[in-house]
Amino acid sequence: MSIDPTSLKRRGFLYRVLAEAGAEFGEIGGAAVALRYRGSIEEETHKARHLAIADLSPLPRCGFKGNGAVEWLQSQGLDIGPDSNKAYRQPNGALAARLAPTEIFLIDDLGGEGRLSARLDAAWSWGKEKPRKPCGYPMPRADSHAWFALAGAESPAMFSKICGVDLRTHRFPDLAIAQTSVAKMNAIVIREDRGGVPGYHLLADSASAEYLWACVIDAMEEFGGAAVGLEALRRLGGP
Amino acid sequence: MIADNRLPEPYGRLIDRRRPIDFTFERRAYRGLAGDTIASALGANGEWLLSRSFKYRRPRGVLTMAGQDGNTLVQIGSEPNVLADLRPIAEGLAAEGQNYDGFLNQDRGRVVERLARFMPVGFYYKAFFKPKGAWKFWEPIIRNRAGLGKVDVHAHHGYFDKQYLFADVAVIGGGPAGMSAALQAASSGAEIVLIDDMPELGGSLGYARFESQGVRGAAVASRLRRRLAGHKNVTVLSNCTCTGLYGDNWLAAVAGQRLYKIRAKSVVVATGSLEQPAVFRHNDLPGIMMGSAAQRLIHLYGVKPGRKAVVLTANADGYGVALDLDDAGVEVEAVVDMREAPVATIMTRSVANRRIRVLAGHTISEAIENRHGEHLAAVLVNRIVGEGRYERGATIVGCDLVCMSVGYTPAGQLLHHAGARFAYDEATHMFQPAELPAGVLASGSVNGAYDLDAVLAEGIRAGWLAARDAGMPVTGSEPVASYDSGARDLTHPWPIFPHKKGKDFIDFDEDLQVKDLVNAIADGYDDIELLKRYSTVGMGPSQGRHSGVAAVRVLAKETGRPVSALGVTTQRPPYRPVKFGHLGGRGFEPVRYTAMHHRHIELGGRMMLAGLWLRPAYYGVPADRDKAILEEVLAVRRNVGLIDVSTLGGLDVRGPDAAELLNRLYTFAYAKQPVGRSRYVLMTDQSGVITDDGVACRFHDQHFYVTATTGGVDAVYRHMLFWNAQWRLDVDVANVTAAYAGVNLAGPKSRAVLSRLCSDVDLSAEAFPYMGVRQGTVAGIPARLLRVGFVGELGYEIHVPASQGEALWDAIMAVGALEDIRPFGVEAQRVLRLEKGHIIIGQDTDGLTHPLEAGMGWAIAKNKPFFIGGRSIEIQGSKALTRKLVGFIVDDKSAPVPDECHLVIHRGEIVGRVTSAVRSPTLDATVGLAYVAPAQATPDTQFEIKVAGGRMIRGRVISPPFYDPDNKRQAM
Repeated sequence: MSIDPTSLKRRGFLYRVLAEAGAEFGEIGGAAVALRYRGSIEEETHKARHLAIADLSPLPRCGFKGNGAVEWLQSQGLDIGPDSNKAYRQPNGALAARLAPTEIFLIDDLGGEGRLSARLDAAWSWGKEKPRKPCGYPMPRADSHAWFALAGAESPAMFSKICGVDLRTHRFPDLAIAQTSVAKMNAIVIREDRGGVPGYHLLADSASAEYLWACVIDAMEEFGGAAVGLEALRRLGGP
Repeated sequence: MIADNRLPEPYGRLIDRRRPIDFTFERRAYRGLAGDTIASALGANGEWLLSRSFKYRRPRGVLTMAGQDGNTLVQIGSEPNVLADLRPIAEGLAAEGQNYDGFLNQDRGRVVERLARFMPVGFYYKAFFKPKGAWKFWEPIIRNRAGLGKVDVHAHHGYFDKQYLFADVAVIGGGPAGMSAALQAASSGAEIVLIDDMPELGGSLGYARFESQGVRGAAVASRLRRRLAGHKNVTVLSNCTCTGLYGDNWLAAVAGQRLYKIRAKSVVVATGSLEQPAVFRHNDLPGIMMGSAAQRLIHLYGVKPGRKAVVLTANADGYGVALDLDDAGVEVEAVVDMREAPVATIMTRSVANRRIRVLAGHTISEAIENRHGEHLAAVLVNRIVGEGRYERGATIVGCDLVCMSVGYTPAGQLLHHAGARFAYDEATHMFQPAELPAGVLASGSVNGAYDLDAVLAEGIRAGWLAARDAGMPVTGSEPVASYDSGARDLTHPWPIFPHKKGKDFIDFDEDLQVKDLVNAIADGYDDIELLKRYSTVGMGPSQGRHSGVAAVRVLAKETGRPVSALGVTTQRPPYRPVKFGHLGGRGFEPVRYTAMHHRHIELGGRMMLAGLWLRPAYYGVPADRDKAILEEVLAVRRNVGLIDVSTLGGLDVRGPDAAELLNRLYTFAYAKQPVGRSRYVLMTDQSGVITDDGVACRFHDQHFYVTATTGGVDAVYRHMLFWNAQWRLDVDVANVTAAYAGVNLAGPKSRAVLSRLCSDVDLSAEAFPYMGVRQGTVAGIPARLLRVGFVGELGYEIHVPASQGEALWDAIMAVGALEDIRPFGVEAQRVLRLEKGHIIIGQDTDGLTHPLEAGMGWAIAKNKPFFIGGRSIEIQGSKALTRKLVGFIVDDKSAPVPDECHLVIHRGEIVGRVTSAVRSPTLDATVGLAYVAPAQATPDTQFEIKVAGGRMIRGRVISPPFYDPDNKRQAM
């Protein structure tokens, strides 16, 4: 049974577009997420192996930036390596994407509970120490960036129509990050395969979510790509 | 039904005989086969007249069958200048010829040809401007005849897109050299992109005759294609034309509606060579074509190019053409060989064995058109007696086909793009690449190799070098091409036989004859680049592919210099015409929606662009625009209104040095700004010019939330990052514009509305005064609340996470309904802010405005040591002002409202301009801001404004704010 996205305060950036395309929504963490579209879940999963896009924008994510951000996150138990432009997988399936030496973009696991984001947001404070121990600053990533997941073998070919970076799987390894331009927008692309299927997280300006979604749908058309729901992504398997 | 000229299998490797396709040309119906081009399908039906020439309207037909000439340009619907020898036919396609009046085969415009002697080269530089006024007479006539094809200005936008491709090695050209190079490079593990403009790889292997039996080419092509198919690391782009080779091995390639942008580590250019025409009288008639064009028609499309042929040659390839024609059932009347003593080869012997007449030491001196004036009927053949000279006493040979095989020139355009230098080789009479840029290699006949074995070896060498240059692991040492290049005795040094009656065309595109070039040189244009520009040789659609070398030869002869001293003209991209659609591509134009965007649409908002954002200008139908704006203004003044301000920039500045950063970047002082208060920010650049403004809200000792203008925030953010990197302060700057949705709830009843939604912030004037800032919840949504007064009423800016912006809007509109809340747009806000006299950066300021002339001296802190622009403002302050921004009112209520940029006039001189003006419904008067002369800036001074139509109206200076001068309403 699909829920009405407007029954919740937190709303996806393109719920109208998804609804028009036949999305069925379910509530996860206080927001309506497109779980599936018309047709069988097997069909949708099959599409996801070929080429598909899913809107994960309503799912939790957060970020920390500034002096001491990485050290503070490590002190919170996160496993973050030394290289920038690389994502580090956390035990619960979340990704800590190191965009710069002092900047981390955290995308939670597809469970959608957002446990890690919530824990970190709760743990961070200005503190009372003087001088304050550097621990970076939280970033409102769930609102500043739309979050799309691209899946399927044809994803790199589709990307080559809207992005100038070579994202082919043998050139752009799992967990690599490109901070680049996609369809003339600043964007972050993170490779994360699921169940052996090539996958990419596409993070970009939330205000242009509808525009970017339309560009990707258009670019996917020649490959027979389609929008899928969160469930199809989950069925692909784990990272 | 089989077309008259269609040859049986195995001819026609590119066509599918099972798939007939119907199309029209010149409104006549034709049937071709799938795989046919327009030109080949018409040829199969015996139709050889394709277009008319640009200047003399002479009939033109197939010349190269390779898209290398302008003879085959046709119009398809709204698409002009389609190459008929490349464009495949399609069901229902309707093509038409170009450049004619009346009918293609009966062109009234050909009368111009009779006036040719009155139109020598450069005549248009010397005519049409005298007597005075003559140009007005000539212009429409010339414009009517100028241009190629017809542009449909109402044509629909096509769907074009772009794609990036990546390769270790890009190989351009799918002939033997290109395929061989691709294979060699691929064997090293390199990723290859192989670009070829034909539907099938093979290049000359698909049509040329390499030995007397004519089977080797196909066998080699088949073997190479098979081997390439076995390499997963080779991507073949067929029907794809590389149009440019740019710096750092960036290649542009066009296929269909797509532009490929290819980045390669190294590039092999294997684009082959261009067969060159002979020059003789009427050498442009339909039926006269390159030998290779006839071979393409025969082998690729299964089309017999004529019935009776003469082969004009100066090399062994012409004999191969004769054999192909003979095999295809074309009657070869003669092989006319320009060489006095042709070298005996297996080809010449085969021709002799077939008893084909060979006339050595002869040339064609003139072609004769048929009685309809549209095709070749016969040629005059004369014995050659010297360079460009022949004996009198011609032999007439009846024929409908002349195949020219008199020499080649490298198809080196892409190498030119990359910066290669070409030099003339006296031994082969051809230009060859002499210097190549790093990472770019030439292979095959573009590099001077013509013998097939040499070409294949050349490919291997280039492929090995390209792989090495791309950083791939190559084995062994550089392969050596040990074969003879086969380049000698291929190209005749002077295949030019001028005729005293002219029409001996060097440039088919521009109808340039030998005498035209001779006269241009005599006029003093004796440099090849000057000759090109004056005569227009090489400036037509084929870009000198068939005229460039001949022009150099004529120039060499006329000036007594060797060809090697002259060089060739520069070749620039694109290699083939590229449509604007290809350059424009998919057209990515990002647009930004606020969280409440769709609510505005639902409420009838008329959206306008603000940077990349869309904002509601007003709510209502356009016919009631002014009424809607008025009602929105009054709602805010008298009741309560709600405006979406999400587009305003938002920057989180955090860290121990946050106040210090603001102190250095903005004109005011922030070190002592209390937490919970906001303060105006005014940014200037190093020259003291105003660049942005906003407010800085201090939410924590180390946290300022700084707003910026919609259009300026990105620049402000970059500015902050730049200076922070310079100063290395302990502060972090984050652009959180998109992360927050914002509304301004404004009007006397705004507190009443907000109080129904916000219970954790004391909203009383005492607890939350004007310019205060708080954090709390509104409708259960975490919010930043700002008491600011841009519109001059009690008001609250409420900033919430963007994902909850729509819910905030819904909640406020729902409870606001009890107070008759009304949404208002940008237009009403402009009226409201102007009534308060607030400036808008970029509208009331320009690229030179400094704070003192804008009346913003109050926003400059006097007691801080430094801020960007401070020193410049200090210097400006020591000098007299040259203008001053003032508020004004128009006392004459019947006077029109001035527009922005209407001029302020004083004693006939321009002294300033209006920057903003509105009819204020609140004040019932026109008020505005304007730059005036400093002497006019004192209150009650009157000045003149020149409005539309030249009418002068009077403004009177008054000190803003015009409305609520004591600012009591916003501080309620």
